[in-house]
Amino acid sequence: MNKTVELDMPIFPKVRYSGWHLDEIEPSLAEVKERHYINDQAFGIEVNGQATAYQHVPDALTAQGVRVMSMLKAQALCPELLSQYVGQVIPATTDRLVAQNFHYFNTGIFVYIPDDTQVDDVLQLALNHVATQGQDMMARIVIYVGRRVKLSIFQQMHTLGEVKSKASVVIEIIAATSAQVTYANVDAFSDVTTAYINRQALVTEHATVNWENASFNDGNVITQLESHLRAEGATSHAEVIALSSKKQVQGIMTTVENSGRHSVGHIFQRGVILNRSKLVFNGIGRIIKGAKGADAQQESRVLMLSRRARGDANPLLLIDENDVTAGHAASVGQIDENQMYYLMSRGISKKIARKLVIRGFMGEVLAKMPTKFAQQLIIDEIERKLQDENETS
Amino acid sequence: MTTLKIVNLHVSVEGKEILKGLNLTVRTGEFHAIMGPNGTGKSTLSQTIMGHPAYEVTSGHIYMDDQDLAELSVDARARAGLFLAMQYPSEIQGVTNAEFMRAAINARRPEDDPINVMDFINKLDEKREFLSMSEEMAERYLNEGFSGGEKKRNEVLQMMMIEPKIAILDEIDSGLDIDALKVVSRGVNEMRSDDFGTLMITHYQRLLTYIVPDFVHVMMDGRIVKTGGAELAQKLESEGYAGLRNELGIDAHLTDEDANSYFVEG
Repeated sequence: MNKTVELDMPIFPKVRYSGWHLDEIEPSLAEVKERHYINDQAFGIEVNGQATAYQHVPDALTAQGVRVMSMLKAQALCPELLSQYVGQVIPATTDRLVAQNFHYFNTGIFVYIPDDTQVDDVLQLALNHVATQGQDMMARIVIYVGRRVKLSIFQQMHTLGEVKSKASVVIEIIAATSAQVTYANVDAFSDVTTAYINRQALVTEHATVNWENASFNDGNVITQLESHLRAEGATSHAEVIALSSKKQVQGIMTTVENSGRHSVGHIFQRGVILNRSKLVFNGIGRIIKGAKGADAQQESRVLMLSRRARGDANPLLLIDENDVTAGHAASVGQIDENQMYYLMSRGISKKIARKLVIRGFMGEVLAKMPTKFAQQLIIDEIERKLQDENETS
Repeated sequence: MTTLKIVNLHVSVEGKEILKGLNLTVRTGEFHAIMGPNGTGKSTLSQTIMGHPAYEVTSGHIYMDDQDLAELSVDARARAGLFLAMQYPSEIQGVTNAEFMRAAINARRPEDDPINVMDFINKLDEKREFLSMSEEMAERYLNEGFSGGEKKRNEVLQMMMIEPKIAILDEIDSGLDIDALKVVSRGVNEMRSDDFGTLMITHYQRLLTYIVPDFVHVMMDGRIVKTGGAELAQKLESEGYAGLRNELGIDAHLTDEDANSYFVEG
């Protein structure tokens, strides 16, 4: 890992992760060939370790030049196209973890959607950590969305196997002029996976990238989510929900950088903390000089459901231009007693009422998940984490 | 027959005594109405019966048959047959109306015997149509983005789905136009049977022309000061609460007396 050690580790305020040794990663060659998380006939791909367990692109889209393939296949079949985009959103020299991923990734997914392609179905991407041998996942997802394309993506990540190991996943999205992208993801690594996840989007003129990010991992995770509003009228709504349980730590840093005029960047985060776990939301709205008419807003709210839970919501606005609108709100609080009372007044037990209120607290993001499956996955994850809560407390 | 019996009830909110010795008995088969000026404790009564944690019973008792409600949590009171149609129902995004009502019905059944999905849907469709509610409301999030009128209808829909023994309707008529009021009233009247009793809390005599009560109680200063039949509501409509207060010689200040308007929510 000599190429990377001279760079600094990324800064995650209020999260101490040096003991996780995320910069000491041994890329795994493991694979699982069976499909686990994508339905037959769905438009998309499932990559488990280095294996492609499922892949389907409708013929009409293939004919228009749409590419959805594993990173290994892309490196073999269309290396020139791929190299135009890898590292374009997140420069390799950004920090030690980005550089490590850039130099050593050995799996992942490549998506290329040409200009003006009409895509009707949700693009489904599953990338799973094969934790059977103790080596780590080093993966990259690169997505290019052409001009005026409207695309909805649902991405999920899970752990297959039970050997403690690490995962480094870097995701780059380029939204060309006037592209409209919704990127919804459910991160659901198990407690054997310690993960570093970094998703960033380059949003160009009049393009939109909206994130619906659900962090439901069981292990320790740092997640970075970032939109670069590089041109006139670029827009991004970064919406995050997270649920932490047991003894895990989840640190989430969401950043929107407005450098384009009249760019709009909104951050909305909702987190719930159970047991002795920790959840930190850092929200950063940065407006660069010259981004006249830019709008940066953020709201982060955290519910603490146990005395021993630890949580934080840190909003930060960094503004270097006068002609802008900006605002922030943050809170750390308890469950809404009025909602609990209302549900219980219908005979619903405290336990079930609590589950419904938590789901309601995250409802705004839940409602925007692009498929029923994605919504149900989140509902099931909430249920599972609350079930675990009762067993451990 | 089920009886809700309130005996010498005293209730404080944040240290201030609101109910000062209230007595009332409601049996299944009976429709009761409570009227009274603003600030007299009508909503305190309804929330206390349901068990809202902010309302402290300092003395007195509330019984459902032989069961003292002080021993029951909010959800257990509901399962014992109580229902409160709230003045300000909560909104809960992420939980659909249908799912919420199914959870409420299943809460009353053994855990291993939930209501059959088709039975549930058929019942929901029937009640929903009876209340002229659109089909899509079942899949909308609970009260989220509902207008005032839709929320009230939804409260009545829940009541019809759950079929409680005793329902307290807290200002079910407020904010309703005349058409919506008729629909809501139709729902309540549809429930009338030997197995159902209700306690309606209202400012307006208007509601009682659509849902005719067997008993009308007037509340002032934390107590019931007069009980009569449906004609009492009409008398109040023409004479106002101040007239009754003076007639009974009660020393109570009416919140809205200065404005001389007892029928406007403050």
